[in-house]
Amino acid sequence: MTTNASKITIEFDDRTVRRFMLASIIWGIVGMLAGVFIASQLNFHQLNLTSWLSFGRLRPLHTNAVIFAFVGNMMFAGVYYSTQRLCKARMASDLLSNIHFWGWQLIIIAAAITLPLGLTRGQEYAELIWPINIAVALIWVVFAVNFFWTLAKRNEPSLYVALWFYIATIITIAMLYIVNHLSIPTSWTHSYTIFAGVQNGLVQWWYGHNAVAFFLTTPILGIMYYFLPKAAERPVYSYRLSIVHFWSLVFIYIWAGPHHLLNTALPKWLQMLGTFFSLMLWAPSWGGMLNGLLTLRGAWDKLRTDPVVKFLIAAVTFYGMSTFEGPLLSIRAVNALSHYSDWTIGHVHAGAMGWNGFMAAGMFYWLTPRLYGTKLHSTSWANFHFWIGTIGILVYVGSMWVSGIMQGLMLNATTPDGLSLVYPNFIDTLTSIRAMMGFRIIGGSLYLVGMILMGVNIWLTIRKGSPVNETREVAVIERTQRDTMSLKDTFLNDPIACMFAGLLLVLAWLFLPPGADIAALVCAGIFAVLAVKRFQTGHNRWSAWYESLLHNWIPFTVLTFVAVALGGLIQIIPTVMVNRATNVEDRVQQPYTPLELAGRDIYISEGCYNCHSQMIRTMLPDVLRYGDYSRLGESIYDHPFQWGSKRTGPDLAREGGKYPHSWHYDHMKDPRSISVGSNMPPYEHLFSEKFDQKTLWKKIAVMTQLGVPYPAMTDTEVKTKAVEQGIQIVKDLEGQGRSGALPDTKIVALIAYLQKLGKYDVPDLEEKLKKTPEGIPFPLKPGIPDGYRTSAVTK
Amino acid sequence: MTPQSPNNGPVLRDHTYDGIQEYDQKLPNWWLFTWYITMVWFVIAWVAYYQLNLGESGEEQVDKALANIKAIQLKELEKLTDDKLWEMSKEEKIVSAGAATFATTCVACHAPDLSAHINGVKLPGQPLNDTEWKHGGNPLQLLNIVRKGAPDVTKGMPAWEPQLGLNRVVEVVAFVLSKHKKGEPITLSADSPLKPGAAPAAPAPSPAPAPPAGK
Repeated sequence: MTTNASKITIEFDDRTVRRFMLASIIWGIVGMLAGVFIASQLNFHQLNLTSWLSFGRLRPLHTNAVIFAFVGNMMFAGVYYSTQRLCKARMASDLLSNIHFWGWQLIIIAAAITLPLGLTRGQEYAELIWPINIAVALIWVVFAVNFFWTLAKRNEPSLYVALWFYIATIITIAMLYIVNHLSIPTSWTHSYTIFAGVQNGLVQWWYGHNAVAFFLTTPILGIMYYFLPKAAERPVYSYRLSIVHFWSLVFIYIWAGPHHLLNTALPKWLQMLGTFFSLMLWAPSWGGMLNGLLTLRGAWDKLRTDPVVKFLIAAVTFYGMSTFEGPLLSIRAVNALSHYSDWTIGHVHAGAMGWNGFMAAGMFYWLTPRLYGTKLHSTSWANFHFWIGTIGILVYVGSMWVSGIMQGLMLNATTPDGLSLVYPNFIDTLTSIRAMMGFRIIGGSLYLVGMILMGVNIWLTIRKGSPVNETREVAVIERTQRDTMSLKDTFLNDPIACMFAGLLLVLAWLFLPPGADIAALVCAGIFAVLAVKRFQTGHNRWSAWYESLLHNWIPFTVLTFVAVALGGLIQIIPTVMVNRATNVEDRVQQPYTPLELAGRDIYISEGCYNCHSQMIRTMLPDVLRYGDYSRLGESIYDHPFQWGSKRTGPDLAREGGKYPHSWHYDHMKDPRSISVGSNMPPYEHLFSEKFDQKTLWKKIAVMTQLGVPYPAMTDTEVKTKAVEQGIQIVKDLEGQGRSGALPDTKIVALIAYLQKLGKYDVPDLEEKLKKTPEGIPFPLKPGIPDGYRTSAVTK
Repeated sequence: MTPQSPNNGPVLRDHTYDGIQEYDQKLPNWWLFTWYITMVWFVIAWVAYYQLNLGESGEEQVDKALANIKAIQLKELEKLTDDKLWEMSKEEKIVSAGAATFATTCVACHAPDLSAHINGVKLPGQPLNDTEWKHGGNPLQLLNIVRKGAPDVTKGMPAWEPQLGLNRVVEVVAFVLSKHKKGEPITLSADSPLKPGAAPAAPAPSPAPAPPAGK
């Protein structure tokens, strides 16, 4: 291998690693501070100090800061450090590294300014406004170019498993981010998503779920595969397990998004795919955990002495816990209890604090002495950080379990005769979890103290040492030793042929009409047996092919992209392509009037969706509490959809016409004057601020472009209509003894919107059927939503 | 490719990456089997629930439960008359249960003393402690308005039956009646839709294309 190789000395770019590490620690502390603050707001509504410090605007700040600023920077530090060493090459371009680092920090600052101002796209973890979206995409491309260029220049022929995970991360995040952020701008700070209703829901959770998968999981697994064996000084447990769990993880993860929409109006076939792929995801996830934990075999004593190993092993354990909990929560019956509740919040925090936070801590404690050429300032502080962090997580997650299960049970409880709800008042269920919400603040604070301690410890270490860039002598490898695989060798081989043929048969089973589907299933079964036989006789060829794939980064990347793209394509395309008229389940939402649309933008801007869902599930308690279950057609014009994912307050899907205007007027001014014990922030500023009339026409023009049936209106007509409706609402309010409201204020627009929620038309079936065929692009069964829900149409 | 392992111990691959070595151990059986089970479950459940359509969907279950509730309520309602409700308004147990519901659900708009005023400020609801009524003052009329809500809810009362259930609605009505006397004079307020000549409000009491619930 090393014959006639010339040797060169390279200096690794460790400055970029140091920068990303420090940025991660700083943003991590900021993000977690925001977390403790908003957790406190839930118990102490007085902390909603001003409009820009209210829960609805700060919660996106917390989630974005922790995901993209804390874990993002941590991931980049880990990737930059390990990739250079695994490739035996310096990062390809210092310029790109610089642009990547500073660009990312500027994006974070832009987010920290815009989110409190109420500038948002209104989709969870995708809140940033469109100019920042473009910046994120560009910086991500810079990162990708820098990374893949380094791979192309590598002096290590074979790709180590950590790099597989980085590759998957980079291409998948690019794909998810771009598709989910497709929008049409209405101004420099506002845009509407191109998808609406169920389509938007499906795409959003394809993105949201896989942001967890490919931003918070795969890169961190890659980091685990590098730093854990390094810290434990033991070989990785199993290469074979790496292969199986990598490919199955990246393939299966993508399919599981719909488990965020169980029991909703989402077509049944998608809900079922979401559940079953989540269950099938359990083992691949645990494959990663096993490879981490079992790597420590023979070095368990390090767990006692080395804080780095402590953090890494606890992180992997938390990873195992959350990836067991995830499939559990994806079971429809469990989800009926847990969804919209604190249980989900506990679940994600077990992942974020346990897995991501502890991996970060372990990695930083390992890196700092090496990056600054000195010893860690205090090992006992690091140990203390470990214990206070662990206790913090356990208190947090434990209280969220209790809170979520208790509130879920209370909300779903019906009297023994099944005739009515046991707790008809939502507030009663909120009051009963107050103590648990208090424990959450304590748990989160303990964790934050640990983080700050780490910051100080690392700061003192840095002051003791000085920055060191590692230099190393490496053998330059011949071009012929890597990246020589042809397209034919990539795709035309047994493993790939078997995978694709098997997948095709499975898809045929899922999508073919009755009769043919069972035949396809039988064929798939027979094929699986044959494929296993073929593997048994030819496994040497199979593993030789895989070995050579590892010497070729482009074919590896292409195959990874295919694996991650499939699930999304198969779920999203039928849902997006299907003729909208057939997909409404006999109800079509009434388009918003100009004033209502303005009100809706205020609802989104204030972040109401962080606490209020607009989706009544197909469950008796939901229906009794909030009204008839939601139909697909009822959010068909919602760009973006606002189905929500958490009910800190009640569902609002049928809020329209439930209470008089004066009720909303009083409630927005002081929620507790109407519902005693509420934790909703007051919205005093809406009573004086004017709603945006200037861009309203443009907004309606964009809506029209997106297919919402508005009549042609001039700018003046739009404004006149809005103000006229505002005057009517003001009159009604006066009739109800609420004088002083002005027709062009935000509160009036918001009331108009709230009173519209749940308003629909029943379309003429004949008319609809006439429009239907016009070449439904997909002759697939799921092209139409589930038959049992559209029986009225098809009969 | 892979070297034979000594003493049947784990095979260590010969390649190292930045000093990291890898064993090539076989996959743990228990792990493989949990995975196989989830795959088999996928096949079984898809065939059963999707292709053979076994069991009831969420929608079917909800529709059935609602139909059942409606049937039972119809029977209950048949038993209820003005006199029966007046009788109930004298039963302490029913009235105190109604008072409890009133205290959590109704006071926001009707005030604890039923006056619909707090500290001189008018609340969104109608006063219930006088003899003037907007939607009729007979016990069955009261029952109806609490069950179904006002004809135009943006200007009045929400429908409470779905959320509270018929039993609690009856209790609340009994509580309100307990603050009144049978046979006291009943007048309609000036804006009452029941007044002759008043603009016909929405076609009460059951609005157009009947969805299963929430009407």
